[in-house]
Amino acid sequence: MSEKTRIYLQPWPIRIWHWINASGIIILILSGAQIRFPETLSIFSSYKSAIEVHNTAGIIVSISFSFWFFYYKMVKNTLDKLYIPDEEDIKHGLVRQLLYYCFWYFLGRPSPYHATPDHKFNPMQKSAYLAVMFVLMPLVGLTGILLLNVTPLRVLVLMWGGIKFIVALHFLLACSLLAFLCTHVYLATLGDYIKPMLIGWEEVEEHEEPEKAPEVAIPGYRPVRHYPEYEQMLLEQRHN
Amino acid sequence: MKPADLQKMSLLAKLALCAWALAGLIAQASAWGFSYGDQTGNNQACLSCHGKTGEVPKGTFIDPQRFTQTAHASLGCEACHATVPATHPDGNKVPKADCRDCHSGISEEYAKGLHAAKTACNGCHNPHLVQNPKDVSGQEINMICSNCHNGLEMTAKHGEWLPQSELHLRMLPCITCHTGAKDYYISMYIVKSKGDSRFGKQEVAEYADLKAIAGGRPIVSLIDTNRDNYVSLEELRVFNRTQKSLHLYGMMTPSTVSHKFEILDSRRNCSFCHTSGSGLMQTSFIAVPEADGTFLRVPVEKGAVLDALYAAPDFYMMGSTKNAKLNQIGLAIICCGLIMPVGHGFVRFLTRKNRKEKEHQS
Repeated sequence: MSEKTRIYLQPWPIRIWHWINASGIIILILSGAQIRFPETLSIFSSYKSAIEVHNTAGIIVSISFSFWFFYYKMVKNTLDKLYIPDEEDIKHGLVRQLLYYCFWYFLGRPSPYHATPDHKFNPMQKSAYLAVMFVLMPLVGLTGILLLNVTPLRVLVLMWGGIKFIVALHFLLACSLLAFLCTHVYLATLGDYIKPMLIGWEEVEEHEEPEKAPEVAIPGYRPVRHYPEYEQMLLEQRHN
Repeated sequence: MKPADLQKMSLLAKLALCAWALAGLIAQASAWGFSYGDQTGNNQACLSCHGKTGEVPKGTFIDPQRFTQTAHASLGCEACHATVPATHPDGNKVPKADCRDCHSGISEEYAKGLHAAKTACNGCHNPHLVQNPKDVSGQEINMICSNCHNGLEMTAKHGEWLPQSELHLRMLPCITCHTGAKDYYISMYIVKSKGDSRFGKQEVAEYADLKAIAGGRPIVSLIDTNRDNYVSLEELRVFNRTQKSLHLYGMMTPSTVSHKFEILDSRRNCSFCHTSGSGLMQTSFIAVPEADGTFLRVPVEKGAVLDALYAAPDFYMMGSTKNAKLNQIGLAIICCGLIMPVGHGFVRFLTRKNRKEKEHQS
């Protein structure tokens, strides 16, 4: 027997940021593609329109990124906890999550990670978001700002290795973001991730039967009854 | 004395009188310090005064070195100042020719443009300095325009519609957009940083600097390494890789300069320039500075020469100079991102029954 409970997983400022960011990045990818391949693509009416759209979207995404950082770091003070993998994540969580995606998911087992407001991301999400939000996004934003102000920031452009290096870096980072976007959207369809990002709430099935070994479940992880091999591993660790 | 002898003496006397008169005239002219110049282009008599700043009013000074480079110098001063009075210099202005006498075609073309109502030929061209466009850099061409069109004002005005207007105005001759030329070529100049600083402003390299770098060899050998008076794309790449202090800048320049100045809507279409493999960018020259202040034009291998400039860190033309290898790397990265949706999605589809069974059990 089980009944559904609701968890308020995504607060409204984060939902607004997420969708501004998502639409902004899609517009940036489309306009950026036209800017790079004007002889092939004509998504926006003219080359100039593509540049203007790209510049505007870039500024909006940069501002929204700053807002995201400010919100999690200053207001909620949960940035480190949410995005930086802890010891358990690195030692076991990453492998467990990878096994889930590669094998256990196909066998019909539930995800080993159970999202809570303070532990929203599984170890693989944490690692991916750490790279995306702390490396890719800041770098693509900074290189974009330099390219937007080539003349006034000429010295900085040269300090970064010259305009061509910055263009190459901006392009490759954008390709990496597009690659991440494909994976991100697909993985969102594996669980109930899209609805919480729209309405904020996630419905979780709560089982009435007593958990077999709830005391060994690490915060954020599902009870071990789904994963007997995990329980065995914890027992071995205790004996050692 | 015989009548025949008297006749001979009379003829000799007449000849002597003519010779005396001619000698007197020459002596007089020399004493005044001017001559009408000569058709060989030396013009030394005129320049003996007009080539010295202290001897003539400022407005009539002619820089001898620069004047010698003009096509007008080879015609001689007299070609334009045919009727200088014998009393010169007497404080009166000397008569001068009308440009239309020789340049009637250009004059008609000019009359149809925007400048016609604003200024005449000498508004832009000093006939004692004017040079063929191929002998001057794009920056020098723009300096003529900036005599009337204030740089800051123009940047602001173009900035109303043109992204990065300051960069565009610095990198293009005004005539590229403001004349209806049909054919263009890429004119490449060797530039170096001001004060040899890595972050210094890039300026067209001076003859003396390049001569020092070339170490006694001709400057052109810095790029045209096999000295066949033809620069291959490979030679360009080698130059860009090996010359750390020097770079090449490319300027899209009209092949034939029109004097009909206009505002063309087609130039507001960015893809006029920012398109890879544009037909406008297949012909190129490298302008190598000469000792006399002009440029030697060395033809470059036909093709997308701007791609060969890729190694220059401070030059990039959006949409035109993209690197094909980078495109391939970018595509590979995007394909990596598709592995998960495609590969995982396929197995997910095949194993959908397993999940339905589990859902049913729960």
